[in-house]
Formats: sequence, structure tokens, C-alpha cells
Amino acid sequence: MALLAENNSRARALAGGTDLVVDLKHAPGDVDLLVDISQLPEFSGIEETEEGLRIGSMVTFSELMASPIVNQMTPEIVAASHTVGAVQTRNLGTIGGNLVTCVPSADSAPSLLALDAIATIAGSDGKRSVPLEEFFVGPRKTILEPHELLAEILIPKKNLGKPSHFIKFGLRKGQALALVNVAAALYLNDDGKVAEPRIALGAVAPTPMFARKAEASLDGKRPNEESLLEAARVAVSEIKPIDDFRASANYRRHLVQTLTYRTLKRSAEIASEQ
Amino acid sequence: MIVKLKVNGETRSADVPPETTLLKLLREHLNLTGAKLGCDVGDCGTCTVIVDGESVNSCLMLAGRASGREVTTIEGLASSEQLHPLQEKFEELGALQCGFCGPGMIISAKALLDKNPEPTVFEVKDALSGNLCRCTGYTKIIEAILDAGRIMSTAEAKS
Repeated sequence: MALLAENNSRARALAGGTDLVVDLKHAPGDVDLLVDISQLPEFSGIEETEEGLRIGSMVTFSELMASPIVNQMTPEIVAASHTVGAVQTRNLGTIGGNLVTCVPSADSAPSLLALDAIATIAGSDGKRSVPLEEFFVGPRKTILEPHELLAEILIPKKNLGKPSHFIKFGLRKGQALALVNVAAALYLNDDGKVAEPRIALGAVAPTPMFARKAEASLDGKRPNEESLLEAARVAVSEIKPIDDFRASANYRRHLVQTLTYRTLKRSAEIASEQ
Repeated sequence: MIVKLKVNGETRSADVPPETTLLKLLREHLNLTGAKLGCDVGDCGTCTVIVDGESVNSCLMLAGRASGREVTTIEGLASSEQLHPLQEKFEELGALQCGFCGPGMIISAKALLDKNPEPTVFEVKDALSGNLCRCTGYTKIIEAILDAGRIMSTAEAKS
């Protein structure tokens, strides 16, 4: 960390390298110093603690998919991991790297946001924790200071097993960036009404985001056709999609409505099965 | 920096600049040109090699990261007497046309079959999602992998 802080913009921390090695090839003069953090034991491993499920930032997507505890407690994180890149990139790429690279379409972000994940940041002056939502600042920009690294992600204990569903919509099953990705999570209380709904959207704003108004519109209602469609419509009003060569902003709006509806509906089905 | 690693069972070492990728180390310093340089950004999969049992894009892995680890490339599959079952089946079924994707396809397939000797068609497709082929249309590649898997698990059962 001292090395990274001293060399500031000329130094980079190397995790899985699936983004950074490509950047180095495109702009070979930009970086003088690489610090390999991928083997740091403090940033590795997946474990259940008193606070919840702790995922080290250097855990690869393949490790997440193979982890019995992640499969059992947060299956949608496994599903989201499966949509990242392809086998070879999942064997290298880390969840921390995906979040720090901070592209709007990051496939790991929505399902983590939907479970109110907390990012723990380690710096030369100690540790701090922030809700993952606040970690993202803009495209390729996080709140990390030069002397700081993302150490781990925590899924709070109360959200382990929370009914949740993730859908990525890309143009192919493998090696495709999401046009839109959506994760929903919710509980149903004893009289069948929605509690603590979460709707997290990717690739439709400068950073992965919550559709807070849509969540509020669904909170306390029964999850029927009418209330779910209304939430999906409200979600569309909250996004700021762009036109690019992958899709038009209008198409992304259409996708957000459809996928928000589907992820909420599936989450409610899972909740009612429990 | 000096990188010392095991490649196809043999200990090898080379003195390379720190920004050297594993692919460049293999091709230009160790003269193992089986793994190909395709897109060089981790999309096409023709540079795929196995590192400690996991398939990776060698164009995305810095050589230093492979230090002290075991690497298997396409050159490590056949002996002078015998092809690997995957290579035999790729040849027999015409799963290669121009052949440029072949080393990566076969290595990805080996990584799959080593863990899951009798995969479903879906599992084969999933395992190949990081390997592009512009000639074959994939059908024959998938058939060859399923056939090789059956041969390998039968051989396993006999031994």
C-alpha cells in the first residue's frame, strides 16, 4: 500500500489482470509499477462470520461458483458469477477487480447491491466500510484513495437466504457485456406483503444503481401483476441509459421494465416457496 | 525477472521483462508456439493453457504470476507414439478446419474433461464459451469432445 501511495498515478494494484493487463497493452507507458495483490491472504477466502458472509476481494468468479457456502446462502451471486466473461476469464478475474474497475455493466454489482453488500476498504491508515452503492462514483471511478484497496465484501447476515433473482441480458451467453443487468431481492411478510424490496440495475446509469422509487412503490404491497408492473415502470423513470453501438437508450428502457418485472416476480415466487 | 515454472512436466526458466505475458514467455522464450496469439485481450481463447488445473487466457496472465506453477500447453498432450483422445477425435471428426482455434479448444476441453469426464452438451458449450471458432460452426468440435470424454472414461474404468 505504501508503494501504491508513493507512486500514486504511476502504480496499479494487480488482481486477476483480465482488465488491467489489457489496459497495459493499450497504453504501455502509463504504469511504472505493478503491485500483485492477488495472493494476499487477508484479501482471500470466503467465510461465514458473525456479521454475515465475508468474500475476500481476491476471490475469483470460479471460486465463488464452486463455493458450497455461496451456493447455499446467496445462490444469485453464483448465477451472476456464471455470466461473467467465460471460463478462462472467470478463473483469473476477481470479484474485487470487477468492482474496482467500476464499469456500469459490472455483472457482479447488481446481485451484491440487492443484498445490501458492504465494501471494506483497507488503507495505510486503517480500515473503513461503506455500503457498496457508495463505493461506485462514476464510470471507472470508485471512492478508493491511492493508498487504499478493496479488501472484502460483506453480505449482512440478515440478508443471507433473502429471496433474490438476477438476470443479465447480453447479446451472447459468453464473452458479452450486459446491455442491462438486473437483480431483485425481497421478503414476503406473514400476510404476503412485500418487505425490504431491492431493485439493482446495471448498464443504465454512470454506475450500478438502486431503483429506489420503484422499491418504495412495491414496499408493503402484495406482489401481483399490477404492483410488479408498476414497480417496473417506475424503475424505467429512474434510469439514465445511453445510446451506444450495443443498444439504444430506448431498448435499454424496454429491457429494464421487462427484466425488473421478471426478477421481482421470480424473487416473490422464491419467497412464497419458502 | 527470472521466471521458473513447470511446463508440460519439465522445469523451465527464462529471464523476461516484468510486463511479459505467459503467452509471450511460452512462444518467444520457450519456443512453445502451440498456444496462439489471437485477439490478445482475452476474448478469443486461442491462447488458452492450463495453470495448476485451471484453464486461463495466457495473454492475460503475466509470466511472473505463473512462477512456481504447473502449466500444460497443447504440446503436453501427445507423446511421440500416441495422440491424446481429444486430438484423435478432433482429427477423426473433422473438428478443425483452419485449425487456429484448435490448441485453445482442445486445452479448454481437456480442462473440462479432467474435472467432468462425461459432460452434457450444455456443459461442453459452457466450457467452450471463451473459445471462438470462425470455421466449423462448433458442432463437430462438441461431438469430438463428447466422444473423447466417453473414450477417456472407458479407459479410466478399465485401468
